[in-house]
Amino acid sequence: MASNEASSTPTVSITDAPVNVTVLQQTPQLIALYTIIRDVNTQRADFVFYSNRIIRLLVEEGLNHLPVQATSVSTPTDLTYNGLKFQGKICGVSIMRAGESMEQGLRDCCRSVRIGKILIQRDDETAEAKLFYEKLPEDIKDRYVLLLDPMLATGGSAIMAVDVLIAKGVPVERILFVNLISSPEGIAAFAKKFPKLKVITGFIDEGLNDKKFVIPGLGDFGDRYYCI
Amino acid sequence: MAHEHTLMSPTSLASLSTKTSYYLPPWSRPHIIGIAGSSGSGKTSVASQIIKALNVPWTVILSFDNFYRPLSRTQREQAFANEYDFDAPEALDLDMLVDVLTDLRHGKKVEVPVYSFSEHNRTKLSTTIYGANVIILEGIFTLYDPRIVELLDLKVFVDTDLDICMARRLRRDIVHRGRELKGAMKQWFSFVKPNFERYVRPTMRQADVVVPRGLDNVVAIDMLIKHVQRTLAAKSRLHLEQLGQLVGTTDANTEFAAKAGMDVRVLPQTPQVQAMHTILFNRATTRADFVFYFERLMAILIESALDYVPYEAKKVKTATGREYTGLSATMETCAVSILRAGACFETSLRRILPAIAIGKVLIQSNSRTGEPFLHYLKLPPHIENKFILLVDAQATTGAAAIMAIRVLLDHGAQPENICFVTYLADKRAAIRRILAAYPKVKVVVGKVEDQIRRRFIDTRYFGT
Repeated sequence: MASNEASSTPTVSITDAPVNVTVLQQTPQLIALYTIIRDVNTQRADFVFYSNRIIRLLVEEGLNHLPVQATSVSTPTDLTYNGLKFQGKICGVSIMRAGESMEQGLRDCCRSVRIGKILIQRDDETAEAKLFYEKLPEDIKDRYVLLLDPMLATGGSAIMAVDVLIAKGVPVERILFVNLISSPEGIAAFAKKFPKLKVITGFIDEGLNDKKFVIPGLGDFGDRYYCI
Repeated sequence: MAHEHTLMSPTSLASLSTKTSYYLPPWSRPHIIGIAGSSGSGKTSVASQIIKALNVPWTVILSFDNFYRPLSRTQREQAFANEYDFDAPEALDLDMLVDVLTDLRHGKKVEVPVYSFSEHNRTKLSTTIYGANVIILEGIFTLYDPRIVELLDLKVFVDTDLDICMARRLRRDIVHRGRELKGAMKQWFSFVKPNFERYVRPTMRQADVVVPRGLDNVVAIDMLIKHVQRTLAAKSRLHLEQLGQLVGTTDANTEFAAKAGMDVRVLPQTPQVQAMHTILFNRATTRADFVFYFERLMAILIESALDYVPYEAKKVKTATGREYTGLSATMETCAVSILRAGACFETSLRRILPAIAIGKVLIQSNSRTGEPFLHYLKLPPHIENKFILLVDAQATTGAAAIMAIRVLLDHGAQPENICFVTYLADKRAAIRRILAAYPKVKVVVGKVEDQIRRRFIDTRYFGT
């Protein structure tokens, strides 16, 4: 774990994570993007723009976990090129409201992707997750699902969303949970409950505060993306 | 730069070309032709005729007229009364001309002053000259100053009958420069003609070629052109040979570069990246899909190139009230695209850096010989303080990239702040040559090719 001991050294993600978790490579430019969205003084236009850049990198990384198949094609110069082609149908499922902020990034990489929604709200009193609404593609059990939620804190709502997907017949190993910042607690909870589910995250932060917010984190992602 | 300190004759250029770590663009040793002769002898016409016949991409006519000294108030009054002697060597800033010509000889960018004949003064404007293969210097005193004579590759004297010269000069002064006949005559007899006899005619013996009758002398002009063409062809051969010599003896690959401590990064060939290559290489792919997947892939490539931007630690406060130490770029990033294929990157660039300044360089290779030529250049300001993404869709021989990097360096860019980004690069030629010529430049490649693949990306992307 990188620490804050030396204040001039940038803090990078915790890399010690369970096998089902993929953390984006901690490159200088990724850290610079995180520095912008974490900064409380960053205005919404920049917050949206730089979040989208990170989301695209996350989606690209997530898509790499989908199967491909060998194929050969003819090039414009009449040569044979042995390459790969995408296999398997995918869909996105965003956990409302903050997860919807990741849909544009997904569409930037997969133009006509179907996107389902799940509304789960965290009870402000108990921090317990509660399911309010879901609308999913009918054939979701035949698809790979990119589950979108920008912040993984306790994991309560994401675990509930996965339960919804499993109840619809989606095999757990075909679910990819994509988020920008995770807490070690959330990562551990996921690994324990769904050891075969893949988690794609850009950054595993230090922990949770007493209000169950990821710290240092960036605050409430949905609020920063949509309002205040 | 190590190679900028000496003047090189074609022979020393040839001996240099056996080394592997230098690149001398054609303009580092332009062919400079000097044309002297009386006022009205047809120097400019001869110069234009030569340039027209040469059909070389980048040629410049440099006139002595740009180098008149600014006049004092008294001198200006004299000038308006046709009593100032513009045809004496003292009227010209020969020191400045020598400086400009010396810089041009070394391939540097120069600013040439613009002189106003109606104001009789230097204007605030200047003309930039850079990148010319052929420079023609014309003026009555071209062969007068030994410092200038020494810088010329070919010295021509246009020897037109003085009566014809006078007739032409009077016509030009009256029709084009708004002078009175009387004043123009006065100028001719008191200054132009005596000065010609005193200063200019004796310089005829400095000339390699004397052309009697000026432009009317078709045979002489034709011989001149043939001579220059032969010299340029020899230069082109050396240029190509030198580009070829940039390849070392070992088979270059990225491990080779990594061992040498060079910054070459090839995009990790993940399943998604490989599948995108397949779509882009498939001739059955529609253009809508081609554009979409090219832009998607180039966005990944550009994000990856941005790792080379210099960063420094930055402390911020997050909305949870905690502090976070991250990174922030210390330098603005700009881009320069090598036209036409580099323009395919612009949408992807703007998607990542919406306000990025994008410069353009048009370098085209001769379809027969493959020799690259610089045709057009427009760079963002202050590139010396910027991180520069130099983009091209494909690098096959590496010649265009090598020339473009030279252009950036000539304009003050720091080699370690240049990152050449390309989708496809040939490993034997392109990557190795670029690194042989510029070991400090960073290279980011989407896919390394084992064989030279004809350029096809821009054709598919633009549909033309």
